[in-house]
Amino acid sequence: MPPFELVTPATVDEAIASLRAIAGSGPAVIAGGTDLLLDIDDGRTAPGRVVSLRRLPWRTLDWTDGALTVGSTLPLRSLEDDPDLPRRLPGLWQSVHAVGSVALRHRATLGGNLGRAAPASDLIPMLLALDAEVDLVGPDGSRRLSVDAFIRSSRRTTLAPGELIRSVRVPESRPSAFLWQRVRPANDISQIAVAVAFSPTRPGWSIAVGGMPPRPVLLTDVARRLGHGRPSEELLRDACDRASREVGLASDQRASEEYRRRLVGTLLGRAVRAVVASGEVPS
Amino acid sequence: MTDDSAALWVNGSVARLQGMPDDERLLDTLRWRLGLKGTKEGCRTGDCGACTVLVDGKSTLSCLTLTREVEGGSVTTIDGASDDPELKRVSAAFTAAEALQCGYCTPGFVVALAGLLKERGRSAPVEELMDGLQGNLCRCTGYAAIARAVALAREDAP
Repeated sequence: MPPFELVTPATVDEAIASLRAIAGSGPAVIAGGTDLLLDIDDGRTAPGRVVSLRRLPWRTLDWTDGALTVGSTLPLRSLEDDPDLPRRLPGLWQSVHAVGSVALRHRATLGGNLGRAAPASDLIPMLLALDAEVDLVGPDGSRRLSVDAFIRSSRRTTLAPGELIRSVRVPESRPSAFLWQRVRPANDISQIAVAVAFSPTRPGWSIAVGGMPPRPVLLTDVARRLGHGRPSEELLRDACDRASREVGLASDQRASEEYRRRLVGTLLGRAVRAVVASGEVPS
Repeated sequence: MTDDSAALWVNGSVARLQGMPDDERLLDTLRWRLGLKGTKEGCRTGDCGACTVLVDGKSTLSCLTLTREVEGGSVTTIDGASDDPELKRVSAAFTAAEALQCGYCTPGFVVALAGLLKERGRSAPVEELMDGLQGNLCRCTGYAAIARAVALAREDAP
């Protein structure tokens, strides 16, 4: 493992300054480190400096007017243990629970998962379906953008040099579901993950699919076809067929393209039925 | 950058970590710097759970943790089982259930289960405890006996 210098700034300003102090490919940011350290071990990245966020006051969770704001360095296990999360955002609870193992979730964070932008992230599809936003802070001040705009492609985000993810905001409680298929329940990467949510205010459905490169995607057209409430079985079957056909998929070492297409349709059908079964979707 | 003031509580004693490099993993600090060989290295990629320790009471993969990131914290390993009531109980349950074959995964399982019982209490549903152990692998596949140990550890007096 190549040696690096670890710096542990005490304030947000110091953190931004220590990120700017190194030019070139730039320093790495560490929150939980469960993904970054693997990349360093494998030589996929070799930062000379690693900036730790552990002293920043971002291990927070707040519900205000139905919106959830999660500080970027809050361990996923703490998010999972929030007493209101399973009721208000069941799909988000399911996606957090799907990450790694208990021991991994004691260190891994929501901010780290977004910042690392893994193509098979389990959290990003659910955040997409919930219309979540990220709050960033950097040398030029703060800005807020949608998770969809934040994620560019595999391992690429729109974070500017010196910028940090401060928090993630989910605007409203939504009946939702997150389903995955993988070889092992824990510490494995989903072959396909499907996130579904119903917005009571729009009203309408959101669908996102993850588990394949280059990044999790929203299926906006398919979601629109489900209508503004409980879809008929016929509508749902048609949506599942379309999702299966239209989503951009490929084969890799984890699953073939054909298997993934079948999974998308199957998991989407189950996820929509699970959301309907919550009783919170109007007919 | 090395910082000679680095210190950690390990199994109730303070461990000073002079000259420790910034990139050192907690697993290596425990095994090679402090000589606590109870914590095992399995995959070193966070998949197997053999390296599980408690940091401030919470199960943690020591292979994916920088020691400096938990500086000042309190680390409990299987080597401290005789001084930690929950670890002691769980170890006794594994012994009583004969829940080990080669034994390499056992420290990770014992520490992970003790962590879950500390977090959730002994009245936690057995399904939740078993689900919480999904991150630990037994290559001998002796899971049935491990499940019996989990059931025993939930009871009051092993």
